[in-house]
Amino acid sequence: MSLFRRINEISNNEKSRKAWFGFVCAVFLCLIIIPSIFVVLKLFTEWGLVSEVLANSAMMAQINGAVFNSFSIALIVTIIDILVGIPMAWILVRKPFKGKKYLDTLMDMPLAFPTAVLGLSVVMFWGAPDGITVSGLGLVFSPYLMIIMLHIIFTYPYMVRSLSAILEQIEPNYETAAMTLGASKFTAVRTITLPLFRAGLITGFIICFARSLSETGGTYIALQLMGVQNTFFTGPTYIAENMSGGNGPMILISVMMIILALVLLVVAKTLMTRLKIPLTKVWPQFGRKISRGAVPKSKDIFSIAFLLIIVILPSFYIFAYLTQPGSNVDYGMLLYSTGISFLIAGVAVVFDIIFGIPMAMYIARQRNTFLGKILDNMVNIPLIVPTTALGFSLALFWGSLNVGSSWGLVLVIFGHIAFTYPLIVRNITGAVEEVDQSYEEVAMTLGAKPFQAFSKVLMPIIKSSIIAGGILAFTRSLGETGATVAIGNSVQTVPVYIINLVKAQAYPEAAMCSIILIAICFVFMFAVRVITHRGDNNA
Amino acid sequence: MPEIVLKDLVKDFGNDCKAADGLSLTVHGGEYLCILGPTGAGKTTCLRMICGLTRPDSGSITFDGKNVLGVPISERQATMLSQVYSLFPSKTVYENVMFAPQIKEWPEESSKQLVKSMISMVHMESKVQSYPHELSGGQQQRTALARALASDSEILLLDEPLRALDARLRLELRKELKSMTKEMELTCIHVTHDQDEALEMADRIAIIRKGRIIQVGTPIEVFQNPSTPFIANFVGRSNIFEGKVEASFEDHSEIRLNNNSIVKARKTDIAIGTDVVIAIKIGSTQIEHIHEPTEEDPVPVMPEGFFSGVIDRILYEGATITIEVNVEGTGIVSTKLPNRRYDDYASGDKVMISWPPAMVSVFNIPKCGLEEELRLD
Repeated sequence: MSLFRRINEISNNEKSRKAWFGFVCAVFLCLIIIPSIFVVLKLFTEWGLVSEVLANSAMMAQINGAVFNSFSIALIVTIIDILVGIPMAWILVRKPFKGKKYLDTLMDMPLAFPTAVLGLSVVMFWGAPDGITVSGLGLVFSPYLMIIMLHIIFTYPYMVRSLSAILEQIEPNYETAAMTLGASKFTAVRTITLPLFRAGLITGFIICFARSLSETGGTYIALQLMGVQNTFFTGPTYIAENMSGGNGPMILISVMMIILALVLLVVAKTLMTRLKIPLTKVWPQFGRKISRGAVPKSKDIFSIAFLLIIVILPSFYIFAYLTQPGSNVDYGMLLYSTGISFLIAGVAVVFDIIFGIPMAMYIARQRNTFLGKILDNMVNIPLIVPTTALGFSLALFWGSLNVGSSWGLVLVIFGHIAFTYPLIVRNITGAVEEVDQSYEEVAMTLGAKPFQAFSKVLMPIIKSSIIAGGILAFTRSLGETGATVAIGNSVQTVPVYIINLVKAQAYPEAAMCSIILIAICFVFMFAVRVITHRGDNNA
Repeated sequence: MPEIVLKDLVKDFGNDCKAADGLSLTVHGGEYLCILGPTGAGKTTCLRMICGLTRPDSGSITFDGKNVLGVPISERQATMLSQVYSLFPSKTVYENVMFAPQIKEWPEESSKQLVKSMISMVHMESKVQSYPHELSGGQQQRTALARALASDSEILLLDEPLRALDARLRLELRKELKSMTKEMELTCIHVTHDQDEALEMADRIAIIRKGRIIQVGTPIEVFQNPSTPFIANFVGRSNIFEGKVEASFEDHSEIRLNNNSIVKARKTDIAIGTDVVIAIKIGSTQIEHIHEPTEEDPVPVMPEGFFSGVIDRILYEGATITIEVNVEGTGIVSTKLPNRRYDDYASGDKVMISWPPAMVSVFNIPKCGLEEELRLD
């Protein structure tokens, strides 16, 4: 209690508030931003190594191929997400029907699965790889197509979530007005509501694209199961596969991924805000035709079928392993790695919340100032930088400061902080923007010190967003492979452990570990939900 | 009951107009002062500077002679009552009112007593466990007031506190609000753009415009002796004309309007021949029919120095009616009458408008021009 009292007193002093915010900015810069893009500097200092790689045409072909695969897959996946995500968002927000709650929950399930597990499950479902006795569909997919199928699963929920968040903000009145003026439903939606969607599309696009670009664990496992891990690469799997090799190719591909991703972020943002989509032309006949009868219904059915067949079934297919005869799971090892994973995710989330809230509040409240704009954009950087490249960059940065290898765990935590930080800041920024600043102002004129105004007034209002952001960051950290592998090979998180099992072709053990991990995640998420709901009732 | 002195406050937000531009004002201890002004005049900024939410670029603020610019918001004991009430959404009525005692860690028993008495003072006993979203606008307003009164603040800053309420409720709460703050012996500054509210509630009114206080006085002073044409028109509408001082007498003056007619106004020190603006309050005029000439009375007597014209239209406003009279060469002149006179007039009637000369203010031509002076921003 006396600690809080001291914080209250300190918060009353403007200078100390400024100092605290300065400290937050410094932490953000030194611990997150600079290490994340440090590798770009290496491009110049280690030019010798890099130019060697540039001269090696075989290696360059591989690198270019990997980068091309990463970006084209991310683009295709994102476009599919948008096309299928829009009708789905509509169903979730605008259509009242029984069991909507369950559909809503089903939607989020793949997010609770570590991607490494998804990789295993998806390949089993579609491809039924050799050496696995559970029978899947046994389709012969090219690695390229398989990776697309995989990436859709864990990006699709993000897209639907960002789209429905925006759709909830858009009043149906506009559509109704358009329809009373004679527009068909389709035309009303296309010309009135869709253009208002831009913000949601941009967020969804950036999140899905970045997510697909970064993904390592699931992709790597899928490729491994298909036996093509040495011939088919994406950017992140290339880094993961060649960790032990020289720094030259690693630096090059990391920088390529980072720069391309950042350029793409800027281009996507400007295109989406500036580009005038020619949506004004109207075809009343066509619009009317497809607004009635079988078309809208079949669209809804298609959306739900897509969710079930492409997203949910392949994710849960791994449970088919439960029908298989017992396997020798090393429970000690599994528990140990689960503990490590939870430790990393927990520390990262706590750190994110402590240092993310002041940042989010500043961005939300000072968006129009110069510093506000810069921070707003800078927070996105770790989100868009592929995590494997980020992890590699981080390792180089701390390595160059001669941080010993015994710090592996700490460095991995730093890495996880870097890519989860934006998730929490984004979530809280959105929440703070919704809250009228007059609550805190009135509280202060009633005698509350700034920290009391925050903790007693603002905090209860944005609590659920903080928790939501925390869960998002926690599960994201739990499922991350690329950054962990790139920073500290010796740090055995669950996804890393599962990958090692797959590498050793211990498929049943890998599957069992995955199932147990999923179960733990579900229990954990369920517990968090219960706790937060109880909190709501008390408030 | 501290005395508040604002001196030469300047606040520039970087827009084309400064929110405070040399603002000076003295609020006596225990006084209920209304700051009245059009939208965007800097009313809210003025309140925010007093309680510390906004820091002035320059100038000084003292409470009882003590400079408070360096004092943090939480220590100023100046509570804001905002127009959206800002009741904390996750707290009940009781918890909202308990907020200040709790964060200040006052003894629990006496706090409970205090909160209870404040809640009963605003007649909210039946809603103690309700959440803000379950309350009506008036109840929210009362709760916000109780919350403000339950702190140890000695200054209450009210930012358009009645704006969001229904018209009827607004009238009721005016009296309640004032009597409660008087009972608690608070120094109150109430910001509003509603002149009726200000005239009814205020001990004194301060008129603010473009970040400056342009007149301070009792409601009667401000209403009857406006210091600028703007105030004459803003506080109770006026008919405004330009002209020249024609003659000056002991008890009145005569002004030659631009169409050469001569009207009577109050006595003025402005020299004869000077260009002036006169303002005739629409409520202080009388109106009479001009009879058609008859044989006994061939020419109606027309007292010199007033207007005659034809009724253009009559607006029914409930308790009052406004009659717009077209005066040849001058334009529309409005007059306000009680509604029982509605049947006495019809458009097209020839009428004469007169007034007690002492009710007509005379001003020098404003530097910025009359049109700019009267603009409501």
